[in-house]
Amino acid sequence: MKKILKLTFVLFLICAVIAGVLGVINELTYRRIEEIKEQKTIAAYNAVLPAYDYKQVEFDRAAFPTVESVNEASNGAGYVVVSTFSGAQGRITMAVGVDHDLRCTGISIIDHSETSGLGANAASASEVGVKFRAQFVGEDESIALAKSGGRIDALAGATITSRAVTRATATSIGVVKSLA
Amino acid sequence: MLTNIISIALGAILINNFIFSQFLGICPFLGCSSKVDTATGMGIAVVFVMGLASAICWVVDNYLLVPLGLEFLETLAFILVIASLVQFVEMFLKKSVPSLYAALGIYLPLITTNCAVLGVVLLNVQNTYNFLESVVYGITGGLGFMLAIVLFASVRERIRFAEYPECFEGFPICLVSAGLLALAFMGFSGMQIF
Amino acid sequence: MNFKRQLKEGVITNNPILVQQLGMCATMAITTTLFNGVGMGLSVLIILTCCNVVVSAIRKIIPGEIRLAIFVVVIAGFVTIVDLLLQAFIPALSDALGVFIPLIVVNCIIIGRAEAFCQKSSVGASFVDGITQGLGYTCVLVVMCVVRELLGSGRFGGGLIDIARGFRFTLDGTGAGIQLFPEDYGASILNLPVGGFLTLGFLFGAMQFALRRSAKKKELAEKAAAEKAAQADAEKEEVVC
Repeated sequence: MKKILKLTFVLFLICAVIAGVLGVINELTYRRIEEIKEQKTIAAYNAVLPAYDYKQVEFDRAAFPTVESVNEASNGAGYVVVSTFSGAQGRITMAVGVDHDLRCTGISIIDHSETSGLGANAASASEVGVKFRAQFVGEDESIALAKSGGRIDALAGATITSRAVTRATATSIGVVKSLA
Repeated sequence: MLTNIISIALGAILINNFIFSQFLGICPFLGCSSKVDTATGMGIAVVFVMGLASAICWVVDNYLLVPLGLEFLETLAFILVIASLVQFVEMFLKKSVPSLYAALGIYLPLITTNCAVLGVVLLNVQNTYNFLESVVYGITGGLGFMLAIVLFASVRERIRFAEYPECFEGFPICLVSAGLLALAFMGFSGMQIF
Repeated sequence: MNFKRQLKEGVITNNPILVQQLGMCATMAITTTLFNGVGMGLSVLIILTCCNVVVSAIRKIIPGEIRLAIFVVVIAGFVTIVDLLLQAFIPALSDALGVFIPLIVVNCIIIGRAEAFCQKSSVGASFVDGITQGLGYTCVLVVMCVVRELLGSGRFGGGLIDIARGFRFTLDGTGAGIQLFPEDYGASILNLPVGGFLTLGFLFGAMQFALRRSAKKKELAEKAAAEKAAQADAEKEEVVC
């Protein structure tokens, strides 16, 4: 019995020392990590609706379960809606800019795990990706894939990703409409 | 709510299988899959440990680490929880199912270093799942692991009678076969139930 | 603490991945661009070396029954330190490697070396061992990255090298790499999980082939030497008789 107590005490001591060291390192890096996270968010928002600052606004969460946040641009240009939804291979997090005419100003994929070369092109900086995302500018809530009667050409071999992104854009415009 | 759970479950077992898509748990996958019986036993043990670890680590994270602002201690805390959990499972198996304990041998304590167990716990934190979603992800992730390892064991039992270049004996031919299985599992991508 | 011998062991004859067959999860998952491969390799090298030194330094004072738990705790400590530093100073690498940085804790190589080597060796030898095994690990990762990227997207050095305005290394993962042939002609299957399995399988095959050939050569040389010695003995006997 005494032996087990002694062993547990030694282990606890070593854990405490290591936790202490980690605490010190955390203090040194904590602020910088938060800064980097904020910069990334602002950069993603800037890509769809340029502004200096964004303020979060309240919206009906029950009616729009996939929307994470609605952020109003400080210069009054409109809103940036961040939503997370299912793509082909997992969840996609996307930022959609919506102006006051309820039209999309641009989309930007923040996080995804789609197939590289197929669905991942929706987020890539290559010509294919840029062309795909440019189609969304100016679209309104009735946005749909060309296959379903709309105007968006799906990515080659990535219909599911394209449909998911299109639906999420429509939802984002819808949530801004509900704010009015 | 239910659709969310089902999509997590399907994702973990088929679409984003822990072995064939996310590469978590390769070491026991290759080490423990020479016979179907050992593979099944290992799979069941991993399902149990993953589910329990998900539950306990979620509680530790949300009621101890986050309220105290100690997120940076997550890795340390989780691995300690998993190591103790595996120790308890080992003692439990030794007393109640000694045949399984003997069959698994060295591979039981090795569940501690199974990337899938620590991986699923970290992914639960990354995806900000609630308690039910975490446990479902843990259990179904384990089921996906078990599916992969049992399938692969049955393939491996046949490889012994196949013809392949001499320098590919052992690991290389197993990896190539696993690759072909991974290719087959890609067929599940894009599966949606609604 | 023979550096040259340990280097040869670490990179070739006792390579942690290709010979000891440890730590394969990360090898297949993240080797899609050279940036990831070099980043992961160097992270593991640093963590392995630090852990080796610490474990070797405290090997005489820790109780034997809980030594594995202590190893794991020490490794978790160093992994968290590297994780925080990467998040703060090279966020692109932290994003690209994702959950595999904290998973270095359960990388069998580090626990394996601590258990098999550092427990009975001096701090100096453990330090050298950490560096050589880490180098072996990084070499395999780099080879996998180069093969997968080159044949999969026709690119060399993605994320790390940028030749737009003269040759330079980009530490923020934005380097476009050197496009050796258009991406459309690459076998993009190699960028998928399948490619990871196949590439590592073929690397293992190549390593086994090389090791067996050198073992066979050694065997033939030994046999020839033994035969010569037997002949020399026979001639000596004849002379005596």
